[in-house]
Amino acid sequence: MDNEQKETHGPDGPINLTRRDFIKGVGMGGGALVLLGQFGINGLAWALSGDPELKMVLVDYSKCTGCRTCEAACSSRNRPATIGGREVPGLGNPRFANIRVHSFNPDVDVPSVCAMCADNPCVKACPVEPDAKTGRRALYRDAKTHGIRNDAGRCLGCRSCAKACASQRTGVISPNPATGKPERMCTLCGGDPQCVKRCPFGALSYVEVRRDRKFYGLGPEKIAAELAKNWYGTADFGGAK
Amino acid sequence: MSRKPGYHGTILNVDLSTGKIEKLAVPSEDLDKFVGGQGLGMKILWDRLKKPGVDPLSPENPLIFMPGPFSGLPVPSSSRTCVVTKSPITSPVKSAYPHASTVSYSNMGGFFGPEIRFAGYDGIVVTGKAKELSYIVIDDDKVEIREGKKFKGMRTDAFDKAILTELGDRRFKTVYIGPAGENLVPYSSILHTAGRAAGRGGMGCVMGSKNLKAIAVKGSGQPSVADHTRFLAALEKARSALYGSAYAKSWAEQGTARAIVANSNAGTEAVRNYREGTFPEADKIGGDAARRDVWVKDIACYCCPLACKKSGMTKGKYGGIVHDGPEYETGVMLGSNLLIADMPGLLKAIYTIDDLGLDQISTGNVIGFLMEAYEKGLIDRGFLDGIDLKWGNVDATLAMIEKIAAKEGVGALAAEGVRALSWHIGKGSEKFAIQVKGLELAAHNIQANQPRGLSYATAERGACHMSGDDIATQNRRAMIDSIGLCLFPTFEPALEEPMLALLSAITGRDYDKAAFEKTGERIFNLEKMFNYREGFRRADDCLPDRFFEDVFTIGAKKGAVLDRSKFEEMLTRYYKDRGWDTETTKPGKAKLQELGLVKA
Repeated sequence: MDNEQKETHGPDGPINLTRRDFIKGVGMGGGALVLLGQFGINGLAWALSGDPELKMVLVDYSKCTGCRTCEAACSSRNRPATIGGREVPGLGNPRFANIRVHSFNPDVDVPSVCAMCADNPCVKACPVEPDAKTGRRALYRDAKTHGIRNDAGRCLGCRSCAKACASQRTGVISPNPATGKPERMCTLCGGDPQCVKRCPFGALSYVEVRRDRKFYGLGPEKIAAELAKNWYGTADFGGAK
Repeated sequence: MSRKPGYHGTILNVDLSTGKIEKLAVPSEDLDKFVGGQGLGMKILWDRLKKPGVDPLSPENPLIFMPGPFSGLPVPSSSRTCVVTKSPITSPVKSAYPHASTVSYSNMGGFFGPEIRFAGYDGIVVTGKAKELSYIVIDDDKVEIREGKKFKGMRTDAFDKAILTELGDRRFKTVYIGPAGENLVPYSSILHTAGRAAGRGGMGCVMGSKNLKAIAVKGSGQPSVADHTRFLAALEKARSALYGSAYAKSWAEQGTARAIVANSNAGTEAVRNYREGTFPEADKIGGDAARRDVWVKDIACYCCPLACKKSGMTKGKYGGIVHDGPEYETGVMLGSNLLIADMPGLLKAIYTIDDLGLDQISTGNVIGFLMEAYEKGLIDRGFLDGIDLKWGNVDATLAMIEKIAAKEGVGALAAEGVRALSWHIGKGSEKFAIQVKGLELAAHNIQANQPRGLSYATAERGACHMSGDDIATQNRRAMIDSIGLCLFPTFEPALEEPMLALLSAITGRDYDKAAFEKTGERIFNLEKMFNYREGFRRADDCLPDRFFEDVFTIGAKKGAVLDRSKFEEMLTRYYKDRGWDTETTKPGKAKLQELGLVKA
């Protein structure tokens, strides 16, 4: 399984990398905890289940330079503009990016993106009564992409999902300051994640992961602390979120 | 007010004396003629200081933070902020005004410029003087001046963390001064991300004179563009020009540090206070050594595919976090120029200078001068407060850096720069006081590089290695510094066409190469008008005697020295080609009319 070739996209177009290559790249010695957090290793059930593969955006922290091109690329796609009645990529305001790079001192950059957690605590936290027909709450998992989506029409703006994400996982889900409705769930850009495509340094990959993987879903501060300890022998960031 | 595409049309003006915060409209004509960044900053400076001789440390002198039209858009390498003010360092040989000085501008990368534009402004102008140490917090429309006494004396690395803790939100982008700026050391810098700086020209000193410790900005908006479709197409081309290119990879590999060995080999490096152009031990502090022993991470500014910045960790006596260096300038000014070949020691010096908020270049230059004066016996150990400032002495260098930032003992004099030091010491030391107009030269040596000498001599902020070695380059770079783009990617010829297309698509004005350079020429000439009004003349565009007298004794350019008459000939031709008077350097009326700087 480790040598299985998976296609992904780098800055020069599609590249091949093995699961083992990728793990090596992400791992970085003491950063292995982060790696386990991202992948989970209890994939046996998945291997036997025959479930369809799930692809998502993963980060190689050692390659990330903190340039935030991913934010702009994400925003361009997911916040399109309308020109002459035609939908075209937007100008990439990072305010509307679903991926966000958290930068620290000492220099560590942690792109944070929805972990698409198998047990989706955000969805579980949604208090909206499941729809009789679809079984969906306002926040639900898309059957095709496995991404987390929000039905804005039914959403109460109660921020429960964001709180669950922040306390249990990455804290990516952010309530809109005005409406309280959740933002920043990864859309996977319809199968062609622009952050991966546009990263100038090949730090992001769109790879197959195990569907029942157990994400520890570490927040950026914890990941940064792990990396900083490993790279610089210190993890004093001064405490700001 | 109708908004011009590519701009918010708004400058945030903060008067620290009165606490008044205003959003001022930028005249549309100014955007057309001066674009942004250095150019628009210069126009604001010109408009605010209507008479010559204003004390640069007075409340009247504006401190101007300028992004450009590229800032806040995902254009590769569109990360720059240009800080513009009246220089607290330079002065002319002769002037009717006691506080005469040049314009000053300093350009830094990072995330600050884009964030200013996200917050809804095309620039920030700070005037006045706060009663006590303060900082400004800008969160979109919401702008506050806050009291910051508790941060007094805090070094920049600690402050970088402390301010974010205070604000409770890591998304704020911040610029700030260290103890050196608070103490009004003329060559103090403004830091950003603890390792990026608007270092040159005394920006930190002017900020300190306003009792301003920091500015924090966070925004959620974005400027518009004139032609969305054309913008997207040009953006695609700009990315293609740089992404995955050998050129970009070369920057990511070593950044500017590659030149530490390359320039030494070429005989164009500042070595031993500019006495030589080659440092035989350059390989010990160069890019290869840093890549092998120090760097663990490449770092990029906003949307930049070059990632020329590095970070790492050194161990041992001089161990600690390395936020950047060695870069070319930092590595040479504190390394080759002082004959320091100890990498951890060099990096400790670089870190300390940033931490205190000093300009790396001027600080290295000043210490090099003192080392030479000490070696020659023009000053003794008593003069240096007991510091044994011998060539290559890391501990002595570190001690001197601390003294300069604190203005303590010999540091008070050294803080005034090499020219003031040489006046004080006398005994012919001005021959090797390596400055122009009072600003110290950077890490490029010139006995074997006369055109770079022209850059140093004629640059508008005093000795500047980035100004350009000829008129066309000077004009072009004044413009690059005005659009929010970094200079480094522009050395890739494939970026030229997309850069012009992007600027045209964003602003709705059509730029070809000629229009681009013409605008730069206008900016450069406005700066010259300012300097001329202050009293700067041809006698101020001169280089120290060293470059005409002290022949290189080692290296590839052994025997090289500048020829004074050839240099003067080059200057005369330069003024003539500029359309300036060859005796006085006064910009000619015809040229100023052509550029729309005076009415016909």
